[in-house]
Amino acid sequence: MPLDTTEPQDTVDPQDVVDPQDTGDQQRPPAEVRFAAELERLRENDAGPRPPGWALSLTGARRFVVGDDALGVTRKFVGDTALIDRALVTLATSRGLMLVGEPGTAKSLLSELIAAAVSGASTLTIQGGAATTEDQIRYSWNYALLVSEGPSTRSLVPAPLLTGMAEGKVVRFEEITRCPLEVQDSLLSPLSDRVLAIPELTGPDAMVFARDGFNVIATANTRDRGVNEMSAALKRRFNFETVFPIADFATELDLVEQEAARLLERSGVGVAPRRDVLEVLVTTFRELRNATTEEGRAMDRLSAVMSTAEAVSVAHAVGVRGWFLRGEAGGAADIVECLAGTAAKDSPDDLTRLRRYLEQQAPRRDGEQWRALHAARHRLPG
Amino acid sequence: MAVTFVGVRHHSPACARLVRDTIARLRPAYVLVEGPADFNGRLDELLLGHEPPIAIYSFYRDAARVHSSWSPFCGYSPEWTALNAGRAAGAELRFIDLPAWHPAFAARGNRYADAERRYADATERLCREFAVDNTDVLWDHLFEIDADDLPGRLDAYFDLVRGEAEPGPDDSERESYMAAWVRAARADAGDRPVVVVTGGFHKPALEALVRAGGTAWPEVPAPGEDATGGSFLVPYSFRRLDAFTGYQSGMPSPEYYQRLWEDGPDGAAAALTETVVTRLRQRRQVVSTADLIAARTLTEGLTRLRGHRSPARTDLLDGLVSALVGEDLDQRLPWTSRGPLAPGAHPAVAEMVAALSGNRVGRLHRDTPAPPLVHDAAAELERLGLAGGGRITLKLTAARGLERSRALHRLRVLGIPGVRRESGPETGADPVLDEVWHVDTSDPDGTRTAALIEAGAYGPTLGDAAAAVLDERTAGAGGDMGRLAEALFDAALCGCAGQSGRIAASLAAGVAGASDVGALGRALDVVLGLWRHDHVLGTARSPLFGTVIEECTERILWLAEGIRGGPGPADRARLGALAAARDALLHASGTLRVDRDAALGVARRVAAAPDAPPDLRGAAFGLGRALGDTADPARAVRGAAAPRVFGDWLAGLFALARQEVIDPGGTVLAVLDELVGALTEEDFLIALPALRQAFEYFPPRERETIAGRLLARRGQGGSARALLRAPRDPLVVAEARALEERVDRALHAAGLTGGRP
Repeated sequence: MPLDTTEPQDTVDPQDVVDPQDTGDQQRPPAEVRFAAELERLRENDAGPRPPGWALSLTGARRFVVGDDALGVTRKFVGDTALIDRALVTLATSRGLMLVGEPGTAKSLLSELIAAAVSGASTLTIQGGAATTEDQIRYSWNYALLVSEGPSTRSLVPAPLLTGMAEGKVVRFEEITRCPLEVQDSLLSPLSDRVLAIPELTGPDAMVFARDGFNVIATANTRDRGVNEMSAALKRRFNFETVFPIADFATELDLVEQEAARLLERSGVGVAPRRDVLEVLVTTFRELRNATTEEGRAMDRLSAVMSTAEAVSVAHAVGVRGWFLRGEAGGAADIVECLAGTAAKDSPDDLTRLRRYLEQQAPRRDGEQWRALHAARHRLPG
Repeated sequence: MAVTFVGVRHHSPACARLVRDTIARLRPAYVLVEGPADFNGRLDELLLGHEPPIAIYSFYRDAARVHSSWSPFCGYSPEWTALNAGRAAGAELRFIDLPAWHPAFAARGNRYADAERRYADATERLCREFAVDNTDVLWDHLFEIDADDLPGRLDAYFDLVRGEAEPGPDDSERESYMAAWVRAARADAGDRPVVVVTGGFHKPALEALVRAGGTAWPEVPAPGEDATGGSFLVPYSFRRLDAFTGYQSGMPSPEYYQRLWEDGPDGAAAALTETVVTRLRQRRQVVSTADLIAARTLTEGLTRLRGHRSPARTDLLDGLVSALVGEDLDQRLPWTSRGPLAPGAHPAVAEMVAALSGNRVGRLHRDTPAPPLVHDAAAELERLGLAGGGRITLKLTAARGLERSRALHRLRVLGIPGVRRESGPETGADPVLDEVWHVDTSDPDGTRTAALIEAGAYGPTLGDAAAAVLDERTAGAGGDMGRLAEALFDAALCGCAGQSGRIAASLAAGVAGASDVGALGRALDVVLGLWRHDHVLGTARSPLFGTVIEECTERILWLAEGIRGGPGPADRARLGALAAARDALLHASGTLRVDRDAALGVARRVAAAPDAPPDLRGAAFGLGRALGDTADPARAVRGAAAPRVFGDWLAGLFALARQEVIDPGGTVLAVLDELVGALTEEDFLIALPALRQAFEYFPPRERETIAGRLLARRGQGGSARALLRAPRDPLVVAEARALEERVDRALHAAGLTGGRP
């Protein structure tokens, strides 16, 4: 999950790809710009050996993601450290890295952070989708130049994969499983032979050999089509890392509280979210997500995504409702109203499951907010 | 001469090495070890030359509580090493901790658990500082792999955690007792050294406590007059050692640490990689040479990234999992989350965990005294006149017959050869009161004694041991209601159902995870019957059965609300489950924790749910009525009168509340008569099979009542009984009517009939 602490921009290294002067009004600058100062400090204090083509050593890259209090590097990914270790070591070998998991588990953030740490740039990104073509992955042509001059390096328009190979950088491939299979397979030879052929060109330009530092981080969503349909050949070229929702209740609660407070402040809400309300909210999300209660009772799994990110947005909505409708922080009744939109957006069955949860599981809990949640169950629509 | 304290983590090879070297270097007069002081007289027994893992099993029973616990020893346990190295150096050996039965250990099943709850905050901070995921990884990182200045590091670590923690009164009591032993040994040793091996958590406190105080040898506390208790050696296994969970658990993966102790980190990594690959290939999982190379490379990379000289446990596991798992995982890696492996884990992960856990089983030296169970079993059989063997018939209704039956069932549950039941009650509902057994106590090849010695690890008496085995069985059954019910009935047969406690907890957990509503209903029916009426096996009002009733009722209500589906044939199993829940709510709500109001809420919601199956809606309506709802049944019957769902809905209602129909003041029968009478011929034929099924819920006498009332309603005389006796098979009649209907239609289509549609 993002701990989106935006750094003051005046310390950005002028050599960075994006001019720091221009990032002021950007909604979300890339990680290497947001955390430029941290990356700079890490580079200065980085004594470890760097794998060829890397901007930082493995330890440096690890500290960038998991944080280092001594250097003032924030923790940016709340999750297993061992996962970061495995991911970085994988990237230093010749296999690609595949991050899989439920939506909202911060896979994309993790891939952005790792790319920023390893290559100093996270912008070589291919966004996978049903309409993604090989052109958008490898290269395409400037057709005006192509017609007037014929194929040449001048008329060639490199896409992220070609650029990454030529410059020795990490290429990010988001939502790879949403691409058609044959498009996915265009990664095969770049990943195994580390070379990309451009048959239209002749001479040495016809082959682009990957430079040190090139690798691919792909992300895939287990809810969409999953990774089962990927070709075995491509699967073999990746090491898989499953990113799980946050395991620890307290950590998730802290994160939701922190993020919700930030969003509420930005929305002009003058009061912080109540901790006991958030506890109920986060517990509800966790139980519905894991399909078991904290006491180990099995329940049905919701088809909707109950991620931490969704919890944050519900907490935000609860705060907004409470403040602008009644001038207070928002309570359990608001949770019920907002949950309906989150949990039941995909199917009416989810609404039934949610109602059953509120009817039968909520009254077993002690506490004022749980009682309020149970009492507000009639606010569910339908 | 000074006392040397070695603070250890239980089951840590690095600490064991430190203990061994310290004792060899100092050649002390005394080696004092954290362990049950009441075992001091039998230390020779412990050092006979067993093959670890073994354990000291301690049990205790008085009027207030029953307690049993284990003090397990592996080859690499610091305590085990201290005893063996101390003996080799000619030192006097003493266990210096309170006995296992002492109230200070009341909550512990494993003496050498980490019990790290006390210092969770400090270790959590350290984990963050070193960027590792949990204390096991932290421990390996700090102590097991790169042990430069191990004693200094251990001191710093334990000073930190002790400085943060709030020691409880139990800790203080144990520490002052241990300190008394240390002072006495120091005084007695004169100018020779004393080595003290305890959990590192206690070391700072002990160092402070031994500075002043008396030097007399402390008394070993003895259990009270009315209590029974004792300790004996049992063979132990890595599987059981790794099965402790939560705060009872110690270091995981015993087989890994055994190898680490024997061969060092590189040897352990190589051997375990080989084991994992062999196991996977035996399960026909493809592990290619390329995968192995990748695993090796990744492990190497992780080892370096984490600053280790040689691969640690999780370096090995992480490298293997990256290389061998080529798809997404369903659950977190158990070495990251510190939880047990849930069913359905990825085969590679399951094999890795199993390989590192190992299946080593300890063996006791043959001169070890047999555990009390062996003697108890022999005495019991003698006392009950069963020692002779042969074919024995028992009357369960007689006190002595029941007692003999229980003893034999306990032997059966423990898996002791030579007892076989030929006949007897099969389930709780079986009205069989005699049992026939075939008992053979001759034991020609010694397997019987061997089995008893093995079973001795579960408890000192047949009753205790059988209860412990049943506890293990229920815990292992998960949500499988069949196996749970079997274990529960065995508990009744063994006479263990009077004890609640752990069996009840495991059963409750299993029921909470069950998803087959029909199986839950069958189990609840039987258990409720026994709980209400059984005076033969003595389970009436037993708390264990009460817990099961509570859990089953709640679970059935929960599952019932989740069932969705359109019209379909009535499902008798789930109707039976709701009927069982109704009985529990009606008959047990005063005594047990079953919530009638909540159940009424469920019943109303299900009855009104448009997407619930009709039989379930009818049943829910009936449940509501049974629980005192005042909704108008006649109206509800009208609401459900579509021909395709009518019969199924009625089946549900009749399964739960057939009284509604035969109630003389009720209006339901009139409405039914009216509705059925108004059905067209075609609709009637559609509704007929389900209607017939629904009325099967009435016993013949009630059917006759209904028939009589129908005749009266229509103002006709005649015998109600004759009405029930159809001259032909109803199926033939129905087929004939269907045929007539088809003929009518054909005639109508051909324009050969008059006004009929």
